[in-house]
Amino acid sequence: MKNLKLVSRQTAQRTTVNVADIQVGHDFIVIAGPCSVESENQLLETARAVKAAGADMLRGGAFKPRTSPYDFQGLGIQGLKILEKARQETGLPIVTEVVDPRDVSWVAEFADVLQIGTRNMQNFSLLKEVGRAGRPVLLKRGMHSTLMEWLNCAEYILSEGNPDVILCERGIRTFETYTRNTLDLSAVPAIKELSHLPIIIDPTHSTGRLSLIASMSMAAVAAGADGMIIEVHHKPAEALCDADQALTPQTFSGIMKRLRPLKSFLNDLPIN
Amino acid sequence: MKPEEIRKNINKIDRELMVLLQERMGLALRSKKFKETRSEPEQENDLLARVEHLNLDLIESSFTRQLLKTIVEETRRLQDEDRSLAAFQGEHGAYGEVAARQLVPKGAYIPCLEFIDVFRGVEEGYFDLGVVPVENSLEGAVTQVNDLLTTTDLKVVGEIKIAVNHCLLATEATDYRDIRQVFSHPQALAQCRNFLRRNKLEPRPYYDTAGAAKMLVRENPRAAAAIASSLCAELYDLEIIKERIEDGPSNSTRFLLLAREPHPDNGDKTSIIFAVPHEAGRLYAVLKLFADAKINLTRIASMPLRSDPGNYSFFLDFEGSDKNPKVAEVLKQMEGLTKWIKYLGSYPVDKATS
Repeated sequence: MKNLKLVSRQTAQRTTVNVADIQVGHDFIVIAGPCSVESENQLLETARAVKAAGADMLRGGAFKPRTSPYDFQGLGIQGLKILEKARQETGLPIVTEVVDPRDVSWVAEFADVLQIGTRNMQNFSLLKEVGRAGRPVLLKRGMHSTLMEWLNCAEYILSEGNPDVILCERGIRTFETYTRNTLDLSAVPAIKELSHLPIIIDPTHSTGRLSLIASMSMAAVAAGADGMIIEVHHKPAEALCDADQALTPQTFSGIMKRLRPLKSFLNDLPIN
Repeated sequence: MKPEEIRKNINKIDRELMVLLQERMGLALRSKKFKETRSEPEQENDLLARVEHLNLDLIESSFTRQLLKTIVEETRRLQDEDRSLAAFQGEHGAYGEVAARQLVPKGAYIPCLEFIDVFRGVEEGYFDLGVVPVENSLEGAVTQVNDLLTTTDLKVVGEIKIAVNHCLLATEATDYRDIRQVFSHPQALAQCRNFLRRNKLEPRPYYDTAGAAKMLVRENPRAAAAIASSLCAELYDLEIIKERIEDGPSNSTRFLLLAREPHPDNGDKTSIIFAVPHEAGRLYAVLKLFADAKINLTRIASMPLRSDPGNYSFFLDFEGSDKNPKVAEVLKQMEGLTKWIKYLGSYPVDKATS
């Protein structure tokens, strides 16, 4: 803990990260959108649908770190321009991944939040670069990482002068094979004990199973998460990546209708 | 050369052919404004003879004849259309052309090197209309233009406010991550200072925004980009890497449309320039006339008089036509209070400026 000078929790004060007029760490925020930006039509359709369902921000990857070099790698800067267009139309702030330190300043020109993916959590030169980018960072937990390793990565970003870090639990590798990963829900209260930074949940990548996403979303709210990031595609069957885990706008809308009432119900419960 | 490279080069040449034809058409339209001394068939024969002498082994003379005939026919058709020649300062794609295209929808847009070329060209009848910037929301008055408005006899027949949305442009082959230097007009570079600093780009001053875009295409300097309008991306086949890179959100320039004759209709906005004697309360007395008549002023600016140092000319824009009796009465009373008044005319207001 002694190396976590900036991220550890010293007082009762919690950090809120401002993105446009949204306060991450104060409100329960939902980031939704496709795995990757495939075309203007695909992104705009999905953006309109998630906005209508009540999402706060739009996600979508222009640079994709894929398991295979032969898989779709993303549209690059063209994808960023499409994301910008979607923000202009819907007003939703943009969350998008950056994978290369040379791209950081450019992605920051288009995006409202820079995402560091699970595979890049310990890419230290990338962390330093986003620490200087002047944009909030969504730091996903490495799929093999301990909480301490994760918080040390957040420390890298804060130590470069960027206080706006949102942590995101997205599942860790265990011996279980039924689910893609195991969603470590205990990370939510654990991080809140250790750090003042906000933490959100990714119910999509952690389960990799459509049928489990709704339950895990409700569980994330109950565990006290500050929000979630979730994959939605206007036509999941046609998606160029993660086709089998993206929600339809209808299903997403159904989940959203239950999330907010659950959150306000929990807020009204007596504390101890 | 690989097949796709050959294809690319062919596309590039086709594009250049079209751009050159466009330039030729522009020149032909301009030539119409001069009195011709030679007959057209005579000129055509001359042209054919010169081109046939080129001795290009892949271009048969029958093809040359056919091609030139088509071009000459199209030129004549265009000349008969009687398009307005609207001059602006800068290269094609300059913000002046962006304004000209909106003010004169079906015109022919003629680039001029200097503002004075625009004014002189319209005065002398080589152009029908001129489009000049009069003030910028960040930088204030364009002094050269205001000076020329004072010293020439042109009338204002329209106005438009153009949002200056700077774009970072580069050739298709340029990877944005390799860009190190950015060429543009010093004012555009200054307006994008933070963007350049954030991305560690070195500003390189150039004489014109559109000129910088044109230079990128012609000279293809390594690791370079330009800051210019999105129109430049279209005209010079450049990629827009990022739109709206200016630091301030509201950067706009007001352009005036100039002609030799005043606007035929009443108009709803009027521009004048005047000077008052150096006496206490003279300027106040003039402005009071407008206040008493409840005429709203939309611009008031002063500029030193070049011909008379120590004295100032005042630029006044106000709502209402000079044919409106109330306005006419104020202008009549002004005559007695000022050293001189110059009526620039009444014209339709641009809704965006009010």
